[in-house]
Amino acid sequence: MKRWLTILICALAAPLFAQELESQAHFHAVDIYADSGNAPLAAYQLEFSVTNVVTKIAGIEGGQHRAFRDAPFYDPKAMQQERVIIGAFSTDVAENLPKGKTRVATIHLETFGNTRPIFQLKLQTAADSAGNKIPVTVTCEEKKIQ
Amino acid sequence: MVAGLLLDGCASPHIKTRMTDFYIPDVYESTNGGYSGYYSQSARSISAPGGVDEVWIIPRNPAATPGNEETPDSSLLLANLGGGEIPMPLSHTDVNASLSGYIGAVEVTQQFENPYTKKIEAVYVFPLPHNAAINEFLMTIGKRRIRGIIRERKEAQAIYQEAKRQGYAATLLTEERPNIFRQSIANIEPGAEIDVHIKYFQTLDYMDGWYEFVFPMVVGPRFNPPGTTNSLGAVTYLKPGERNGHDISLRVEVDAGVPIKDFECKTHVITKSVFSSGHLAVQLAPNDTVPNKDFVLRYRVTGDRIGSSLLTQRDERGDYFTVMLYPPQEVGSLLRQPLELVFVLDCSGSMSGHPIEQAKAAVERGLCLLRPGDSFQLISFSSTASQLGPQPLEATPENVQRGLNYLRSLNTDNGTMMIEGIKAALNFPHDPKRLRFVCFLTDGYIGNETEILAEIRKRIGDSRIFSFGIGSSVNRYLLDQMAKAGRGAVAYLGPADDAAKIMDDFFDRISHPALTNIKMDWGAMEASEVFPREIPDLFPGRAVVLTGRFKGASNAAVRVSGNAANAPVEFEIPVGSIGVVANKGLPGIWARTKIADLENQDIYAPNPELPYEIKQVALDYGLMSPFTAFLAVDASDVTDGTESETVPVTIPAPAGMKTKTTTPDD
Repeated sequence: MKRWLTILICALAAPLFAQELESQAHFHAVDIYADSGNAPLAAYQLEFSVTNVVTKIAGIEGGQHRAFRDAPFYDPKAMQQERVIIGAFSTDVAENLPKGKTRVATIHLETFGNTRPIFQLKLQTAADSAGNKIPVTVTCEEKKIQ
Repeated sequence: MVAGLLLDGCASPHIKTRMTDFYIPDVYESTNGGYSGYYSQSARSISAPGGVDEVWIIPRNPAATPGNEETPDSSLLLANLGGGEIPMPLSHTDVNASLSGYIGAVEVTQQFENPYTKKIEAVYVFPLPHNAAINEFLMTIGKRRIRGIIRERKEAQAIYQEAKRQGYAATLLTEERPNIFRQSIANIEPGAEIDVHIKYFQTLDYMDGWYEFVFPMVVGPRFNPPGTTNSLGAVTYLKPGERNGHDISLRVEVDAGVPIKDFECKTHVITKSVFSSGHLAVQLAPNDTVPNKDFVLRYRVTGDRIGSSLLTQRDERGDYFTVMLYPPQEVGSLLRQPLELVFVLDCSGSMSGHPIEQAKAAVERGLCLLRPGDSFQLISFSSTASQLGPQPLEATPENVQRGLNYLRSLNTDNGTMMIEGIKAALNFPHDPKRLRFVCFLTDGYIGNETEILAEIRKRIGDSRIFSFGIGSSVNRYLLDQMAKAGRGAVAYLGPADDAAKIMDDFFDRISHPALTNIKMDWGAMEASEVFPREIPDLFPGRAVVLTGRFKGASNAAVRVSGNAANAPVEFEIPVGSIGVVANKGLPGIWARTKIADLENQDIYAPNPELPYEIKQVALDYGLMSPFTAFLAVDASDVTDGTESETVPVTIPAPAGMKTKTTTPDD
């Protein structure tokens, strides 16, 4: 069943940088959101990558909801290709799990060059508290530095 | 039971010892690039050549109250940065250890804070066990937890430096020695707190019926002979009577799986919260929280004899196992051959006071346990090596008395030219009628470990090395590796340990032949990549841990064969069944053991491919190694201000040690 699989490219249509990137190395914090609609989100696994510039992943932060606040684990093999495969799960009851759109992680990374990075997300799986696969939309958004 | 010569000098095996106060020189040094600096009245920076981090030297409060012998480190270190007197940036370390069988899972949290009015970078050099498979690293800022990424070391350093330059909070963990690590935390804003969490797995030692858990708390100073390098960098020590406000809490939970018969902790005051059949929980007492000595907890389980056992674990990468081999009981019933014992004493400055007295007491006991037909030699080393005579002496009462007199005349001196002690101990001709055992008694505070180990491997011949770690915070990596390279075993003699008992145990051990030339028949298990590749000899009372991968049956018999006193010995190990989760740390433990094996190869037979192989194993399993590092950057916010000053965390001297002569320039 692949119908729930979502591939999303976040091209940063609305530029977060008003000006051209100036130096060679830039740091970004990219929020990852999962939208499970009315279903309680108990588990997910997704792949994050940057498609157009040299990138170094520098940290993975946990999400907004209590169920996903711990920093997710990553696959060290994938990391060697600068792809992040992260996943997390909660064994809590459905009432204590997030529904709708929630930030599940933040990826901290360094990019090189003056091209704006294009982020790519692939949802690999998601499940509710009963272990059933559920359709989930994943999106990302670069955090605006204060 | 042990028996020995009856001499007047042997009547009391215990030499009276005394505690001495600390002396730490007002100097730190790194020969990595060859720089050094001294404390001054105002903070200043030294730019280190060779790409070493800038190092800041923080003057101490001259009015700090000196401690005394009863209450060392009882005052607070105050640093002066920008005019105010304020504490140092590491406030607390918290340790939680869970021991299951002979596998330990340990979580360490280091709490950093910035008490200054300017942004700082904190740098902390600290120890962990050399067999620790460090596979988790988290930076916590407020309620936000950022998981660190394992990266190739130079790449991680470059990212960290760039993040630091651009003003992002970042942390970097690097391995400076197999048992020494450096934590760097960039851009801690004034008043801010950043916690760093580290998790690792390790196997426990099993000695003389006791499982032993060790958590090291402080890095001892390292002597670097001229021409050697030391990458430790900014390690600064407190003066006598000073404290930096950094304290430690520690809890250990043991799930032995079988009833626990007894436990002990001679290094610290502990409180016990649980002690039931197979479960034990202890923690450091509130009045013993200065991190200046190794924490050692030992426990033993019921039963006269523990059999070898095997644990398995499956994950997405395959099947892994560890096996703890114990010598079969029949080996202990065989009697020993005549011995040629060579005692080598470290008489360097760091051994001054209680450590050298402990070492002398142990050697004195050893001399008294010699039997007619044995022979012995005494060698001491500090700046140079000297010895009792050109050849080993027959263990006659007269010669043993000569040895005791020589032993009592030894004093400590500057310098730790251990290489001279190695050469002196292994160079002279060996009497083939006797088994030669070389006993090194040292704190191991040297920086040229690889040179020492390579020299041992080159000269070992038929000798066996038994290393004795003397002191409260011994360089256990070196001591363990010396024993491994010398096909012997290691023992530790802490300040509260009985020197005579340690030597009695040693004589018990060498009074029976070891199980040698061990071969494993893994049968239908189809094991591969088993480490260590060279299986150490099994001595009575000692266990050896092997770890490997397998792809075959889980319930097949595993057979061990070897020789003891030229007679074949064979025994079988019961195998657990796959699917039963033994311990999720096994894959990491296997990878760490493989890395250690490759590191040893790099010492004894350097090969340009080895660093790449080590790095690849570490990256595949997400582990620390000499060629990888953990990095975490918070890219969500740029800290205020452009300038950041580097503040090394000043650490206490190892308890009971004088360090006046631990640097070559003293």
